[in-house]
Amino acid sequence: MTWIWLAGLVRKSPGRLLAAAAGIAIAVALMAGLGSFLVTSQATMTQRAAAQVAVDWQVQVSAHRDPATVLKAVLGSPGTVSAVPVGFADSPGLRATAGGTTQDTGAAKVLGVPTGYAKTFPLAIRLLTGSANGAVVAQQTAANLHVTPGDTVRVLRAGLSPYSVRIAGVVELPQSDSLFQRVGAPPQSQPVAPPDNVIMLPAAEFRTEYAALAKTRPDLVTTQIHASVDQGALPSDPSSAFTSVTGAANNLAVRTSGAGVVGNNLGASLDAAREDASYARILFLFLGAPGALLAVALTAAITQAVAARRRKEQALLRARGSTPTQLMRLVLVEVAVVGVLGGLIGVGVAAGVGAASSWPWDLAAGLTGLLIAGLVVAIPAARDLRVVAAGESARTVQRTRPVWLRFGLDVILIGLGLAVFWASGRNKYALVLAPEGVPTISVSYWAFLAPALAWLGGGLLCWRIADTLLWRGRRIVALAGRPVLGSLSTSVSSMLMRQRRLVSRSAVLVALALAFAVSTATFNSTYRAQAEVDAQLTNGADVTVTESPGANASPAEGAQLGQVSGVTAVEPLQHRFAYVGNDLQDLYGINPGTISRATTLQDAYFQGATAAESLAQLTSRPDAVLVSAETVNDFQLSPGDLIKLRLQDAQTHTYRTVPFHYVGIVNEFPTAPKDSFLVANADYVAQHTGSSAVGTFLVSTGGSNVSGVADRIRSLVGTTGSVGTIDDARGLVGSSLTSVDLSKLTRLELAFALLIAAAAGGLVIGLGLAERRQAIAVATALGATKRQVRRFGSAEPAFVLLVGTACGLVTGWGLSYLLVKVLTGVFDPPPAGLTAPWGYLAALVACTVAAVGLASVVVIERARRSARTLLRAI
Amino acid sequence: MNKPLVVCEAAGRTFGHGRVAVVAVHDATGTVDDDSRIALVGPSGSGKSTLLHLMAGLDTPTSGSISWPAWESGPFRDPSRAGVVFQGLSLIPSLTAAENVAFPLLLQGLSHEQAVARAIESLDLLGIAALAEKVPEELSGGQAQRVAVARVVTSRPQLIFVDEPTGQLDRASGGRVVDVLLEAADHLHAGLVLSTHDATVAGRLDVVWRMHDGELVGAA
Repeated sequence: MTWIWLAGLVRKSPGRLLAAAAGIAIAVALMAGLGSFLVTSQATMTQRAAAQVAVDWQVQVSAHRDPATVLKAVLGSPGTVSAVPVGFADSPGLRATAGGTTQDTGAAKVLGVPTGYAKTFPLAIRLLTGSANGAVVAQQTAANLHVTPGDTVRVLRAGLSPYSVRIAGVVELPQSDSLFQRVGAPPQSQPVAPPDNVIMLPAAEFRTEYAALAKTRPDLVTTQIHASVDQGALPSDPSSAFTSVTGAANNLAVRTSGAGVVGNNLGASLDAAREDASYARILFLFLGAPGALLAVALTAAITQAVAARRRKEQALLRARGSTPTQLMRLVLVEVAVVGVLGGLIGVGVAAGVGAASSWPWDLAAGLTGLLIAGLVVAIPAARDLRVVAAGESARTVQRTRPVWLRFGLDVILIGLGLAVFWASGRNKYALVLAPEGVPTISVSYWAFLAPALAWLGGGLLCWRIADTLLWRGRRIVALAGRPVLGSLSTSVSSMLMRQRRLVSRSAVLVALALAFAVSTATFNSTYRAQAEVDAQLTNGADVTVTESPGANASPAEGAQLGQVSGVTAVEPLQHRFAYVGNDLQDLYGINPGTISRATTLQDAYFQGATAAESLAQLTSRPDAVLVSAETVNDFQLSPGDLIKLRLQDAQTHTYRTVPFHYVGIVNEFPTAPKDSFLVANADYVAQHTGSSAVGTFLVSTGGSNVSGVADRIRSLVGTTGSVGTIDDARGLVGSSLTSVDLSKLTRLELAFALLIAAAAGGLVIGLGLAERRQAIAVATALGATKRQVRRFGSAEPAFVLLVGTACGLVTGWGLSYLLVKVLTGVFDPPPAGLTAPWGYLAALVACTVAAVGLASVVVIERARRSARTLLRAI
Repeated sequence: MNKPLVVCEAAGRTFGHGRVAVVAVHDATGTVDDDSRIALVGPSGSGKSTLLHLMAGLDTPTSGSISWPAWESGPFRDPSRAGVVFQGLSLIPSLTAAENVAFPLLLQGLSHEQAVARAIESLDLLGIAALAEKVPEELSGGQAQRVAVARVVTSRPQLIFVDEPTGQLDRASGGRVVDVLLEAADHLHAGLVLSTHDATVAGRLDVVWRMHDGELVGAA
């Protein structure tokens, strides 16, 4: 009997099976797709976190211990790919004579690096000019000493005579913070800043110069073993990778028997990535779960639409002697067919849209498909079975209002959501707590209750609005419909009033689907915009020209850049170093009136004032300076306070005190580092340092043809400056989620959101099919013209579309705000406002309207053309 | 003086083409006058409903012709010429009885107030004014059929077509529906054509037209 029934179902009602399977397929595809994305993105995070580390392990050889033994232990450690010894020595200072003047520096670090170090650790050293074969100096040291390749530098030694080295090249040490870390010391004991003066010698030369000192002053001469490990063997999840690397580092420390202290740079990088991985999981949960829930709701609505037919079938089978157990077995077979079919289609679609396959997620999504089928098919069918057994029939016109409407559940949910939002705001939306070095991560999932409650509350509020409009406001609805429906408008509004449960439910489905799509799209759009801002913040502008040390570029040189084809604006940016107390900070000299022409300054870059206000404050007095919040706290500054900074004089190369007045706080600035820095008026800085030399030219291309313009500028500036583009910066920005390519997630989500919104819209027609079909057939048979029938039949879809779209857009926009606020942690810098994806929103509304319109036309025309047949069949 | 309202001349209706063609009505000839009381009888599937729909202008013959001498065109779309009471439940489920009855008048452009007032009059005429505010699912089968009759009556047609009005009713309810139909036709001075397979119902009308396998017998 089961097989006969199943064959009949496939033959006679394939639409019923396919519709339910399609709803399940959407949920499964969304889950499988997003799950695969999660796995891929976590693997990407691990790879990127590991790849950006210059030296995986820095093993500090303890005093009086043999470096060769430690090197052997490191090389013998499982997973070690390469390891080399690097000498470190402290120097009281450096001296150089160039251009007729002699420059002296303060304390310096001297490194002894083996041949091929730059090849083994390419991220540790970047040659800027000259040759890497020989002694090289760091960029800032070269600037301090005014030396270029070929010059000679005298290196002072404690208790020994100085020695001279000929400089072969100038290098940048991109990861100087970790290179000069105090290995084994806790974060709070680490140096505030890397050394200003660094010179690197070939290992043999280092040994020659420091062999004697190492014996007498082992506190001044040390050895580190720099090692790289097999990153390909790391687990894909950052947390697991962190645990694995930390374990290996601990194991190495034990193997050296205390002779080596391991500085685990790779572990530290993975430690930071763990937080991003948690945010990725949160994104998956919050951007994917509503879509899956909606798909379930859609499937439930589809099942509901065919409930009457199922009841008829069940009643017929009961009348012919089938037992409830037999009927339930048939239902379970339908569940299995729908669940398996939906699961297979869903997994197939996920694979088809390009999501990398992840079998655990595919399996989980497939099983979820079966669960959904059980929930939305078996449970209602079992309920129907009881109704059939009791000989009752379901009411087609529901006159009662849902109980929750009377209790104001919608308002309660929205209120609760706002309360949770307020509470998480007090915690600065710190959702992910990943204490440095601690394996466990704490994720505050409850903060996501705010958007979840608001979403559901918004949906139910839509129900209330639709219900109230159709019940208490039906005269208004009738009046509004009069221009189209004429004298039928009152009857139509009465008809909608009596069907308001069905109509409201349809409007809620449309609203929830649109809200999901709008919030997802707006979040993604804001995210993309902020990633772009981050890239511009890092690079400084579309194109930047960073002058070589000692280039002494005049602001007037910007005029030449301005004439390059494709350049829309050029702005000189001074870069100096200034002592704030004992703290050396970067100082940027700008022209506040014109800088915005070449780069974008967001309000979020500043604290307590907008970007425009902060620039106006700088303009208000020549000696105005913007400082970081940390500096304000450290020095207890109030607006208007006098700050005395020490800046290097261009003529004497000595530091002199220059008075400034603190006028505001700056958190971020183009090209500026993440830590403390200062922004002041370029003219004032030039006046008091005797130099208007430009550090960087910010070049705007208006956002177009960046690479082309950059190429033209490169050929113009030659070797006098390095040219960076925003395109380069996009691949480098931050360690946060912005570094993860979310385009797959974005594409996947936006496509599904569009699909769900269109399906929800189209379903509005499907849900009321039987009801409307009869009414349309009757109207046709009673002599209604084609136009009257169409307008009469379109009233309900139009109402649902209007109310659902309006509620969906408003709820979606509100949700976007909550999501962006709650997920502040993924933005760097935080956005000043939402970025509306107008194109997508227009397409979304157009698709929904088209789906509703198409479904309406099909149903109305079919009912109109087969009016007589329908009336005889009813 | 009798006035012919519908003239069928060898009218036929075939559904489908070729080997799957089904001849529902074949060579039907007959005339319906303004005072006719015609029972169209025959077993299920004999073509009664199809012929009724052809005469009401709801369908078009595929052979022969059907004409309405009193009118320039067919009665379809003008409920003041002819009204049809359909087989089964033909009320709009989410409208009240009064709104259902008023519906054809609204389609004709009457204001809602005027249409409802006339609907109440019709319901009152048929003795079912108490049902005015009930929706179809709150009505019994007989009550729903009487509301459907009221919907036809409210347009004051010159001719009433009724398709199997008692098919889904018990004998007592069916009897009351036929009473109402005959009273309404008398009240409106309208012709009445009623299809049925119930001989008792047919016996209450003046003339019986018999249908058998699409052939009309006994019409003049």
